[in-house]
Amino acid sequence: MNAPARHESYVLEDGEKSVELTEDTKIPNAATIKIVKQDHTLGNMLRAQLLAMPQILFAGYKVPHPLHPYFIIKIQTDGTITPQEILEQACTKLIATMSNLETKFKREFSYKDVEAGGVTAAAGEDPYGTAGGAGTGAWGRGRDYLDF
Amino acid sequence: MQAQEDVEPTVRIREVKKDRVNFVLGNVDLAFANSLRRVMMADIPTVAIDMVEIETNTTVLPDEFIAHRLGMIPLVSANCDEAIRYTRDCICLAGCSFCSMMLELKVACDDDNTMEVTSAHLEVVPFPEEEGSQDPGEELSKRGEWFGHPVGKNDPNVPPVLITKIRKGQELKIRCIAKKAAKEHAKFSPCSAISFEYDPYNKLRHTTWWYETNVEDEWPLSENAKEEEAPRDDEPFDFNAKPNKFYFEVETDGSLGPQEVVMKVRLRPACCS
Ligand SMILES: [Zn+2]
Repeated sequence: MNAPARHESYVLEDGEKSVELTEDTKIPNAATIKIVKQDHTLGNMLRAQLLAMPQILFAGYKVPHPLHPYFIIKIQTDGTITPQEILEQACTKLIATMSNLETKFKREFSYKDVEAGGVTAAAGEDPYGTAGGAGTGAWGRGRDYLDF
Repeated sequence: MQAQEDVEPTVRIREVKKDRVNFVLGNVDLAFANSLRRVMMADIPTVAIDMVEIETNTTVLPDEFIAHRLGMIPLVSANCDEAIRYTRDCICLAGCSFCSMMLELKVACDDDNTMEVTSAHLEVVPFPEEEGSQDPGEELSKRGEWFGHPVGKNDPNVPPVLITKIRKGQELKIRCIAKKAAKEHAKFSPCSAISFEYDPYNKLRHTTWWYETNVEDEWPLSENAKEEEAPRDDEPFDFNAKPNKFYFEVETDGSLGPQEVVMKVRLRPACCS
């Protein structure tokens, strides 16, 4: 009866800020960033991306409690760049990798499609009942999934 | 620090089948590959039965048992990004045809044989429209013919999902509401399994192979070992080495095709899920 709405653990509420940055008062060039409604999926990959950048002295993240839908990430840089800037760079880098990967997946799938004479067509017409122009069936016709 | 970061990621699809795709991902970080796995597993929305109204249940199974089983049945969710809204984003008060699907299950047994109630008995019924709700949404036109139906209902070669067995005189009368969601419950996951492997020879020593007498006999190499070079017996441990090649097999339950699952992966901001 008092249960919170189930989507509250992964959808921002109206006006809720997703990122909150607190500068460290004792350590130079360090900050703690709280990212809400995100979990290990983003936290760990962000941490790894930060650690691969040369200006980073420290990067670590934690999900303080499994029932609290946020994680915090602590960053210290060598002073040539602020923690905020390097975090932005890391995110940009990850987004670039993602879209690069998306392009490659798209290309690979289209090759496979040609090889099999159209995977979707070969697997018995319309395996998932997606006739009507929507869904997997349309992949074989060279349409982008964003075109739907 | 390795300058590996400027290398572009690589993908090689080894096999695509109706319900699975097998691919090798290269030149990415372990954390990145794992995030990809986590997103395919938990963050891709599908449609599943979420509310069940039981009018009659004289079967041997209690109501909640059946309600749970109904929820687990995969429903065709192709293109559900556009074909259905989240209930929380919808303007309706208690569900409408733009944010929900209605399914009915009405079975009674009146002969002497045991009868199997399966997902094939689930029928999609049109949503009773409230008066004056002339919603201009275009969701309905984006749906495929079988959208929201139990997977395999249109294919006689796919065995349906068994819900319960009934005998003479027993009856089941149920109305279900299916909704779109992700993450809230495992039933919304489009994947029935994702296998994820790297470093088949355990050169990186990320794991310890426990054995009784002989490691080689008790830990047979996986198929993926053919993709990599076997370590020499006298090879020293390289403690700076990082995993670089990841072997995936994504198997779906049929609610989405494997290609749709992989292509729907993107960074999903919490503001629009
Ligand atoms: Zn609605």
